[in-house]
Amino acid sequence: MERDRLAAFLDQIATRYHLVAPVAEDGVVDYRRVDDARRVVLDELSTVPPKTHFFPQTEELYSYSTVTGLEIKETVGTPAAVLFGVRPCDLKGFLALDPVFAGRFRDPYYWSKRERTIIIGLSCTTVQSTCFCQAFDGSPVNGEGADVLFTPLEAVYLVEILTSKGEQLAAEFSTFLGTEGVEEALRGKEALARELDGRFIRQVDLEGVKEKADRMFDHPYWRRLARRCLGCGICTFLCPTCHCFDVVDENRGDRTGLRVRCWDSCMFTDFTLHTSGHNPRPSKTERLRNRILHKLKYHLDRYGLHGCVGCGRCVAKCPVNIDLTKVIAEIREVD
Amino acid sequence: MKSTLETLRKEAAHLLKEERVKFVIGYAQGTDLARTTPFFAANVRQAGMLTWTPFCVYSLVKYLLDFRYDDIRLAVVVKGCDSRAVNRLVQDNQFARERVVVLGIPCGGMLDREKVLRVVEPAAALLEAEDRGTEYLLKTDCGEFCFEKQETLLAKCLECEHNVPVVADRMVGPKVPSPARPGMDRFAGVRELEALDTAARSAFWDRHFARCLRCFACRNVCPACNCKECSLERAVPGWQQGVCWLSKRTSLGLNHMFHLIRMYHVTGRCIDCGECARVCPVNIPLRELYRKVAKDANELLGMSLPGLDPEEKPLLTTYQATDPDEFM
Repeated sequence: MERDRLAAFLDQIATRYHLVAPVAEDGVVDYRRVDDARRVVLDELSTVPPKTHFFPQTEELYSYSTVTGLEIKETVGTPAAVLFGVRPCDLKGFLALDPVFAGRFRDPYYWSKRERTIIIGLSCTTVQSTCFCQAFDGSPVNGEGADVLFTPLEAVYLVEILTSKGEQLAAEFSTFLGTEGVEEALRGKEALARELDGRFIRQVDLEGVKEKADRMFDHPYWRRLARRCLGCGICTFLCPTCHCFDVVDENRGDRTGLRVRCWDSCMFTDFTLHTSGHNPRPSKTERLRNRILHKLKYHLDRYGLHGCVGCGRCVAKCPVNIDLTKVIAEIREVD
Repeated sequence: MKSTLETLRKEAAHLLKEERVKFVIGYAQGTDLARTTPFFAANVRQAGMLTWTPFCVYSLVKYLLDFRYDDIRLAVVVKGCDSRAVNRLVQDNQFARERVVVLGIPCGGMLDREKVLRVVEPAAALLEAEDRGTEYLLKTDCGEFCFEKQETLLAKCLECEHNVPVVADRMVGPKVPSPARPGMDRFAGVRELEALDTAARSAFWDRHFARCLRCFACRNVCPACNCKECSLERAVPGWQQGVCWLSKRTSLGLNHMFHLIRMYHVTGRCIDCGECARVCPVNIPLRELYRKVAKDANELLGMSLPGLDPEEKPLLTTYQATDPDEFM
């Protein structure tokens, strides 16, 4: 696809689908419904990851009324959507979330959106100083997890159709796509991959980290690390693989109310607080340990997948510079 | 800054060696050129890892609260702006003054890391920083770089009110001139918002609050927030959260509620250190919100900036018959 046709292509999509894409507001980029393609941000990693599309921070499950007998209104009807501009790290984030919401109790809220959404990935053309997707077998041009992958090259986008959903979209908007120069574009993508490969500042070595993590639950390192932690939810809320939630009922006192599920964070004081008052994670030490081990160990144990995709958001936004890449290096070092 | 750093390390090493304090809470080099990280030096060797650069943005005073029920003494490094937090915590009886050794450093302003990283590679190593009055000289392994203060300091430093700590047991390093822009008005932003008509002002805050993730970073970093349990995050089960001020649900209305409750709670307690605005991951201009109440409290009740005097009574704990009450 010629690069200058992208806006027209997206505008066309927006006439038939809910188009969700990264947009900027006050210096913050997040994924929102857009109907004007000119607003789409193409050159930055979003502040908030696109998991919000499948797993919004607040999701109404149902509302109820007991005014005249019990009435329950379930939230139904997921619109067909196209999620555009998902970076390779965030694509891997989706793949890490999928098994959490599958399993024995398949989560209908997550999957209805997942199934009705066509994902268009977007290869990176720069590497930020906080990026480390390489460490987790990622790459700035890896389209795994997308239905279609766009790679920006000099004058064109290389458009790779990766799934049957992608084929459906390509067929629907075939007037925007051409097959001329594909060979050259593929070579261009390879060259881009090679170039970006050398631009990573952070070299993260995972050798032996999982084995170390397996046996350092009681290590004094966690107490030292957690001293400076503020216990805020930035790292978890901005993480493309964090998925904890809490179900909340709100009754309005007029015999109506609603049930919502909301993001929760293992960094919060009340996260594992029991009704008895006992909290198995009473201090920042246990809470931060849980987060780090979830990224480096628990997700691997449970699903055979890395719990981190190396997007670097927590590194960039932690208000006290708790840097996961440094933590990984320190885990390798401690006795 | 080199001689200040040497004095600081010596002072810290002395306190730790003599076992006067359990930790010296200071700064250490962070994970790129333009970052430091809060650091708890526990022994003489670690005192040597303390640093002092134009990237020591964090207020460290809040960490005292993590030890408020422990029977230990601590030392904490403060700049002018965060030194006010020490007085505030002492006023609120959150930390006994004799349990803390305040190491004050006169501050020439902190650099905006984004602006610095546009010029210097983040992977470069910072070897030395020199405060030359109107500019900083950064010596790195990739060369030397000069940063004009008026161009590259954090906005908050150009509005600095106290660059020399208002409280300190030891003043470390020489007094340096304030980086404040002459004639600055710290309520300028508030005045701009006040000048908007109601609809425009409402749209301004709607836009910002709609982005709020309720990550609690603003509250957790805030030295005015020292409650053991926060009314905005009551530990009650989900089915009871409807009875709280706020549940975990995010919505424009609830986000407004969250921020306005916080705004009133920090009235007379907010020391205007600007940490809330720094940590906010979605760029909500929180400082203007708290400055609005500070400005009102100043105009109505003559309140000055909190945290200047440990003996002073917090605004909301005092009453005088002459207080204006035309709104009642």
